[in-house]
Amino acid sequence: MLKKIFLPTIFAILAYGFWISPDFKTISAGVAIFLFGMISLEEGFRSFSGGALERVLQKSTDKLYKSISFGFVTTAIMQSSSLVSVLTISFIGAGLIGLAQGIGIILGANIGTTTGAWLMAGFGLKVKISAYAMPMLVFGMILIFQKSKGIKGFGYILTGLGFLFLGIHYMKEGFEAFKSTVDLASFAVDGFRGLMLFIGIGIVATVIMQSSHATIVLILAALAAGQITYENALALTIGANIGTTITAIIGSLSSNIDGKRLAAAHFIFNVITAVIAVLIIRQIEYGVDMISQSLGIANDNHTLKLAVFDSLFKVMGVIIFIPFVDKLVYFLESRLKESHTKKMPSSDHAKYLNESSLEIPATALAAIKRETIHLYDNAFEIIAHGLNLKRSNIVSDRDLDEVVAEPYTQSAVDIDTFYNRKIKGIYGEIIDFSTKAQSQMSPGYIEVLYHLKLANRDIVEAVKDTKHLQKNLDKYTKSDNEHIRKQYNMIRRDLAELLRTIDRAGRSEEEDTVMVLLSKAKLHTEKYDIIANGTLDNLIRHNLVTIEMATSLMNDSTYAYGISKNLIAMAEIIFTERSSEADSLSEEMAITDEDIDVILEKGQ
Amino acid sequence: MKKFIRSVQSTLGLEEFDQESKKKALKVLLKKLSSRKKGIHASLKTVGSKKEENELKEELEIVKLQIKKGKKILYKLYAKK
Repeated sequence: MLKKIFLPTIFAILAYGFWISPDFKTISAGVAIFLFGMISLEEGFRSFSGGALERVLQKSTDKLYKSISFGFVTTAIMQSSSLVSVLTISFIGAGLIGLAQGIGIILGANIGTTTGAWLMAGFGLKVKISAYAMPMLVFGMILIFQKSKGIKGFGYILTGLGFLFLGIHYMKEGFEAFKSTVDLASFAVDGFRGLMLFIGIGIVATVIMQSSHATIVLILAALAAGQITYENALALTIGANIGTTITAIIGSLSSNIDGKRLAAAHFIFNVITAVIAVLIIRQIEYGVDMISQSLGIANDNHTLKLAVFDSLFKVMGVIIFIPFVDKLVYFLESRLKESHTKKMPSSDHAKYLNESSLEIPATALAAIKRETIHLYDNAFEIIAHGLNLKRSNIVSDRDLDEVVAEPYTQSAVDIDTFYNRKIKGIYGEIIDFSTKAQSQMSPGYIEVLYHLKLANRDIVEAVKDTKHLQKNLDKYTKSDNEHIRKQYNMIRRDLAELLRTIDRAGRSEEEDTVMVLLSKAKLHTEKYDIIANGTLDNLIRHNLVTIEMATSLMNDSTYAYGISKNLIAMAEIIFTERSSEADSLSEEMAITDEDIDVILEKGQ
Repeated sequence: MKKFIRSVQSTLGLEEFDQESKKKALKVLLKKLSSRKKGIHASLKTVGSKKEENELKEELEIVKLQIKKGKKILYKLYAKK
C-alpha cells in the first residue's frame, strides 16, 4: 500500500515545485543529473569488478585494518558507499569474504564518503565545475563505444564524473537563483527540535535519492548559497548517514543470511554513531572549530567546516566501533539465524548462490565457480566411496598401492542415495542460478558461464559412471581370480591417483603447476587405458579371465576412462583462471590428444 | 566521426590494450615453465629409480610442448602488432 502511494506522492510534490519555481526545477535537474552520473560511474566500476576479483579481495581484506582501508579507498575512488555496500553484500553472498571482513569494508566506506564532501566543499563550489564536465562527457562517450570491456568501463567512469560535475553545477546555479526569490534560511529551526527535524529531513532525502553522497552535495550547495544554516546542515548530514543504510538493507533482502547480517551491522553502526553525535553535538562542533582553525579554515567558511564535521563524526564512529567488531559479529550471528524450514536437513544445498550475487556478473560467476567446487567436493567423496577408498587417504602422501589395499568398507556404499543427497539438488540449483545470471551477462561472461556449466555436467557424468563401475568393482576386487582382481585394483589405483592430482591442482596457486599436473593426468589416462594399451587383449588371449570377466572389464574400463576424461575436463575449467587477462591462455596451451600420442611414442 | 574515433583509438593505443595484457601474462607463464624445465633437467641428473626417471622425462616433454605452444601464441601476438 505504502509503495503504491509513495511514487505518485513524490511525483506530485515535484510537479508542484516545478510549477511554482523554475529554480527548484534547476536544482532538481541538478540532483537528477548527479544521480545519473552516479549510475554511470557505478556501471563503469562494475566492469572492473571481474578479473582477479577473488585474489584482490583476499589480499586486501584478510585483516580488519586492511578491510577498512579497502572500504575507504574503493569508496573514495568510486564516490559511492551504496555501491560498495551492495558489492560487499554480494561478495559475502558469493562466499568471497566473511562477515567480519564485510563489516570492516563498511566501516572504511563510511570514512570514504567524506572525500566527496571535501571535493565538493574544497573544489566543486569554488571553480566553474561545468567547464570540466563537458570534455569528460565527450571523451567518455567515445570510450563507451569501444569494444574492449575495460575501455568501455573507463568511458562510463569518465561520463559519470562529467554528469556528477554537471549536476553539481546545476545545483549551485539553482540555489544561487533561488536565493533571490525565496529565503529557505528563514525556515531554520534552532535547538534540539531543529536538530531532530533536520535529521529526519536528511534521512528522508537520502532514502528518496538512495545516495548520502547526493544529499551531502545538495546540503553543501544550499549551505554555500546561504539557504540553510550551519547547524541545520550538521543535522542533515547526520540524517543522511542514517538514510544511506536503507540502500544496504534493500540490497540485502535478496542476499543470504550473511548479507542480511552485514546490512544490520551497517544500520547499527550508523544509528549508534548518529545517536552519539546528537548527544555530544556541542563537543563535536567545538572539535570542528579547533580542527578548522589548525587547518587554516576561516570561521565563517561553513562548507569546509561541514566537510570537517562529516569526517570527524564518521572517523569517530569507526574508532568507537573497531574494538566491538568481533562482538558485533557474534551478536549478529547469534540473533540472525538462517531459516531451514524449506530445506531437507539430510540433503546438501548450494552454499554460495543467492540473488544478491546475480547483480554483478563477475560475482555471479565467482559464486557459480565456488558452488561447482562445492559440487566437486561432494562428487570426490562419492567417487572415493564408489572405489571403496578413504577420501583422507587419497589426498594424503601415502603410497597409493597401500591405500588401495586398505578398503573403506566391506559392503558397497549406495551411490544413488549419495547422488540424491549431495549432487542432484546442488546441480539443479547451479543450473537454475546460471540461467538467471546469464540474462544479465555480456557475451564474454556467457562464454565463461558456458564452460562452468560444462564442468558441472562433467562432475555429474563422472558420478553416474562411478555408479556403473561400482557394481563389478565390488564383485571383482573380492574375486579369487588374481588377474581380474589386479585389473580392477589398477582401475581403483589410477582413479585414486587422478583424484589426488586434481586435489593438488586445486590447491596450487601457480598456473604452470596446474597446467603441468592436469597435462600429466591426461597423459596418464591415455597411457593406462587398458583397452588401448592391449592389456585386455592379452588377458583374453592367454585365457586368464572368463568371457564374462572380459566383457565387464571392457565396459568398466570405458567407465573409468570416462570418469578420468570428465574430471580432467572439469579441473581444466575450474582450476585455471578464465576471467583474467590471460583469458583462454590455459586452454590454448593445454596438451591435445595428438600431443599425447607424440609423447607416448617418444616414451616407447 | 568513425575516422575521428579510430584516430583517437590509435593515438591512445587502445586497440592493443587486450593484446598487451595477454602478452604480459603469457611472458610470466613462459618464464615459470622455463624455470620448471631447468628444474627437471637438474632432477634428471640426480634421479634414483628408472620409474622416477621416466616420470620426469614425461613431465619434461609436457613442459617443452607447452613452452613451444606458448611461444607460438606470443609470436602470433607480436605478428598482429
